[in-house]
Amino acid sequence: MNDKRYDANTITADGRLLLKKLERDGVDSVWDRFRAQLPNCGFCEMGLSCRICVMGPCRIDPFGEGPQRGVCGADADIMVARNLGRMIAAGAASHSDHGRDLVEVLGKVAVNAAPGYQLRDVEKLKRVAAEFGIKPDGKQPSQIAAELSDAMAEEYGTRKKELTLIQRAPAKRQEIWRRLGVAPRGIDRETSEMMHRTHMGVDNDWKSLLLHGIRNALSDGWGGSMIATEVSDILFGTPQPGVTRVNAGVLKKDQVNIVVHGHNPVVSEMLLRACQDPDLLKLAKDKGADGINLAGVCCTGNELLMRAGIPMAGNHLTTELVLATGAVDMMVVDYQCIMPSLGTVAACYHTKMVSTSDKARFPGMEHQEFHPENAAAKATALVKDAIANFNRRGEVFIPVEPVECMGGFSVEAILGALGGTPKPLIDAIAAGKIRGAVGIVGCNNPRIQQDYGHVTLTQRLIENDILVVDTGCASVATAKAGFKQSQALEKAGPGLREVCGALGVPPVLHVGSCVDNVRILVLASALANALGADISDLPIAGAAPEWYSEKAATIGVYFVASGVYTVLGPMPPITGSMNIVKLLTEGLNDVVGATFAVEPDPEKAAVLIRTHIEDKRRKLGLPYIQV
Amino acid sequence: MKYVIIGNGVAGIHAAETLRQFDPPGEITMISDEALQPYCRPMISMVLEGSVATEKLPIRPVSFYDDLNITPALGSRVSAVDVDNRTVSVSGKCYPYDRLLIASGADPRRIKADGLGLRNIFFMRTAAHVRQMLAVLPDVRKALVLGGGLVGFKAAYGLVRRGIPVSMLIRSGHPLSMQVDAEAGRMITDELKAHGLDVRVGAEAAAFEGNGRVAAARLFDGTRLSCDMVVIGKGVFPARRFVPKDKIKVDAGIVVDEHMQTSAPGVFAAGDVAESTDIARRTPWVNAIWPEAVAQGRIAGMNMAGHPAAYPGSLSRNVIRIFGLDVMTAGLAAPPEAEGFETLSVTDTRARTYRKLVFRGDRLVGMVLVNSIEQGGVLTALIQSATPVRPPREALLKPGFNFRQLMPA
Amino acid sequence: MKEVIVHPERCVGCMQCMPACAAAHSQSKNLFQASLEIPRPRPRVHVGVGLFNEGFPNRCRHCDPAPCLLACLPGAIARSAERNTVFIDPNRCINCASCAMACPFGVIRYHEDHTAPPGKTVAVKCDNCYERQLAGLIPACVEVCKSGALRFEERSEAMKRKTDEVARTVSVGAAPVELAPGFALLNAMKRKQIDLAR
Repeated sequence: MNDKRYDANTITADGRLLLKKLERDGVDSVWDRFRAQLPNCGFCEMGLSCRICVMGPCRIDPFGEGPQRGVCGADADIMVARNLGRMIAAGAASHSDHGRDLVEVLGKVAVNAAPGYQLRDVEKLKRVAAEFGIKPDGKQPSQIAAELSDAMAEEYGTRKKELTLIQRAPAKRQEIWRRLGVAPRGIDRETSEMMHRTHMGVDNDWKSLLLHGIRNALSDGWGGSMIATEVSDILFGTPQPGVTRVNAGVLKKDQVNIVVHGHNPVVSEMLLRACQDPDLLKLAKDKGADGINLAGVCCTGNELLMRAGIPMAGNHLTTELVLATGAVDMMVVDYQCIMPSLGTVAACYHTKMVSTSDKARFPGMEHQEFHPENAAAKATALVKDAIANFNRRGEVFIPVEPVECMGGFSVEAILGALGGTPKPLIDAIAAGKIRGAVGIVGCNNPRIQQDYGHVTLTQRLIENDILVVDTGCASVATAKAGFKQSQALEKAGPGLREVCGALGVPPVLHVGSCVDNVRILVLASALANALGADISDLPIAGAAPEWYSEKAATIGVYFVASGVYTVLGPMPPITGSMNIVKLLTEGLNDVVGATFAVEPDPEKAAVLIRTHIEDKRRKLGLPYIQV
Repeated sequence: MKYVIIGNGVAGIHAAETLRQFDPPGEITMISDEALQPYCRPMISMVLEGSVATEKLPIRPVSFYDDLNITPALGSRVSAVDVDNRTVSVSGKCYPYDRLLIASGADPRRIKADGLGLRNIFFMRTAAHVRQMLAVLPDVRKALVLGGGLVGFKAAYGLVRRGIPVSMLIRSGHPLSMQVDAEAGRMITDELKAHGLDVRVGAEAAAFEGNGRVAAARLFDGTRLSCDMVVIGKGVFPARRFVPKDKIKVDAGIVVDEHMQTSAPGVFAAGDVAESTDIARRTPWVNAIWPEAVAQGRIAGMNMAGHPAAYPGSLSRNVIRIFGLDVMTAGLAAPPEAEGFETLSVTDTRARTYRKLVFRGDRLVGMVLVNSIEQGGVLTALIQSATPVRPPREALLKPGFNFRQLMPA
Repeated sequence: MKEVIVHPERCVGCMQCMPACAAAHSQSKNLFQASLEIPRPRPRVHVGVGLFNEGFPNRCRHCDPAPCLLACLPGAIARSAERNTVFIDPNRCINCASCAMACPFGVIRYHEDHTAPPGKTVAVKCDNCYERQLAGLIPACVEVCKSGALRFEERSEAMKRKTDEVARTVSVGAAPVELAPGFALLNAMKRKQIDLAR
């Protein structure tokens, strides 16, 4: 059999070996399902199909001869804008709902109604509360938490004029938003209004729809997601740098392996707690296991990695593959990015699949619903179940050794490493030792060889002395490829190597999960404020080389709306309207001082980004080079 | 113009129809030893198997000769062809010709063994053979099939479908060794064994024993196999004994050029008796299969009528459905060890498919498909047209392969 | 005489022709009910992918002479000059797949059909929707194609249009006109992605 068959699917060794095993075991993978879907419908790929009402469904012929308008009269611009608007709404809703669940836990912790949860970073609690106008004034932390939880809940509603946390952005940036009328007012409100605007016969001006799309995205980036990250830090601790390991090799042959998948640390932190319970460790030993090994995939894994150094077994496209190791005794999921195929895959092995959120149920999974009141107890019960499953393993195939990875770079940690202010970083950028910084974010997508986009782009940037910060599946990709180990400095250019070497950090900084993309916004704001500039003046950029999710679309929009030039790998469904393509890739520059670009080849994307960064340096009066 | 056609198999039929199309007033005489309506020879194995009724065998109506104004001379074999005087002799009668087509087909290869005169030992070449087999089947408890080629294989399959235990004696490592490679051969053997076929490799019959009717076969290694029916499927050989070899070049078959003309001007050959150039092998070869007979008959007819159509050469190919397995092959399925051939293959255990492609340079020269054979004709056409295959070749192996991938970008 | 002409560069891969074809060859002629029929009707046009995941509606070309016709053992395949269509007679078909071996386009499929004897698998392919044409309708695949990939037109008209398109591109001073710049942009991006993966 030709062993090179899986090379095109992924650049990773564990991915290729586990794909081969999956085929041998007769299990379909996401790649098989992707192939079966081809050819994709071009109407949908271009954004030219509409299912919003039953006067339709409609499609518009890009060749100009078939129907040019939907039944309602919407032309291509309107159709594409409406579809894009709903994508943004869905993405914003997902991350913001994640934030809402955290706000609820914060409120319950305040009244002692959430056993197992606590306020780990009280200093941060006070700092964030102050931003919401809550004075510490001799209050107990629980009182502050209660007030903060209320204030944050208010952010989700109808009554506010503006979201509180946009004040973290540079003043110039806030003015741009206000002038455009896109300063977000309420987190749920903007999403709800998007659904209203995209109903048939409401907003039929494509520019107006896109402007509200910007507002909706900002309500996520400077609203729901930011709340999620800040409350997670308050409840579970603000991340500090630490070393762990990544890839399928983190699973242990001789220990009970529990993998957490999904997003919200309200679930995964409780499992972490339970895995450290001495009684359960003893139970595991009694069953013949050396211990309990908690590992993560996707964002909830990143949350645990950032705060507790828990290892990561994989990213989006390997969530099915890790089950093929036969070593996962239980996978516990909450919500987002969890493929409904997992129950079917797990059924071919001994893995017990457990869903925990009322909002997210899956075929083939046992439902154990977590609420703030019962989460700690439920977690203990689940770990017991996982231990009981340890002896039911069949063939175990853990084909690789894990790779060392340093993570935990919250803004607080980065500033801490720099000595308390961004000044050393600014100096390094001004001197040209570091040319600039890029946030590489986003998912995997079977359209693209897994991790190729992330790794290639990262390599090209750091070898040209550009600091890379990454989140989500992108951060796991580069970690698997060795960019976060101590030897990674060898891959970097001389300037970056010197600066990161002095600080004792890798050239690629793991900043967290996908809601933690807001940390990049906070860092960019800190740099801009230190320079008295706007974010769009900085020599920075964003990239999502392998994105798939609606959440990523929303993140892309809030990055660009915040002034960060962002390069996407896969093309979003906008080619049905060249007006919209032009606006997003050119026109937005005049509106928000940044644009999107679409470039599937990461080598070329690197050139685009480097050119952009050098151009920003020139405009700031810094030494620049011709790329 | 006087046309004489020796043989009323499918090559002769298509030649006659083409002649009539191109030369309406021409005189056409057809000579054949089979006095039946023209029928489909490959379907006789399906009659044996029971999936097709005998009545479905004819491919032309009884009035075929009348409808096309053809003079039939049926029931006897040609005794001589006089190239100089342009005549054909049959049963004492002499037929003059301006253009002659020899489409006499092929006969089953004989074997050397004692006891061949016993009853219930059959060849499987004609509808009559199968009719005889069916007549004795009710009393048959165990059958023996000699040969794993197309004929032997189909006979064995047909008998197994009828519920008769069969032992198949083959010389090569697996059945259909001329058509498929070892991997597909293994899959076929497994499928048949799962349905009760007994396959013995390297076994040959030396003699048959019995009292009037065959009762056992004795192999060269001394083994004695009891059986009450034997089918000899050791291939076919072109029927050209009547051809004057000093006047018409004969190799294994009658050698023809790209216009189906023999070395004697005005004399053509087509079908199982003809030897043309094999497109994949690039050597003279007899590909005694139905679609070649059809194509060669038509091309011969055109040329005989003065229309210079060229024939690109023959290609061996076969498609067969065996229980839960479908197998399609074309060209060089198992290339020789010689340099210059590149093989790509993939087995998909989930879809239960096997695909193998053989390239010589950038041309496809052979293919084997097991299951999901619907689009095999695209590959066959690629071999026949000798179209250079642009990379990536692996695309031809993927389940999603379809015709579009061969079109220019 | 009008026939179905395929313009591959217009296929967006939406696959609407497939369920429309299947429904047109069902007993009820209605998509929903057709999906419940036994045997389930199947399309005679097959949308596949090209090398860059572009769509392509692969249908019978109704060749003359038809390789499938010549290859057919029981003579189940015949050509009607009047209808410009090659037909397979499901009652004569013996499911030997010789036509699969012969068809250079790979358009024939094998399954049960309500026009065949019950329980019998037969060879099935496009019949130019001749029943619909008799009723004054156009072939089902053409009716649902909204991008102009499948058209029902005179061959000469299609060829003239193509000739004009080509002529325009070679005229002096001609600027290339992209009929659908968005589609071209999308395809360019997809090609890049696929080239990278190779």
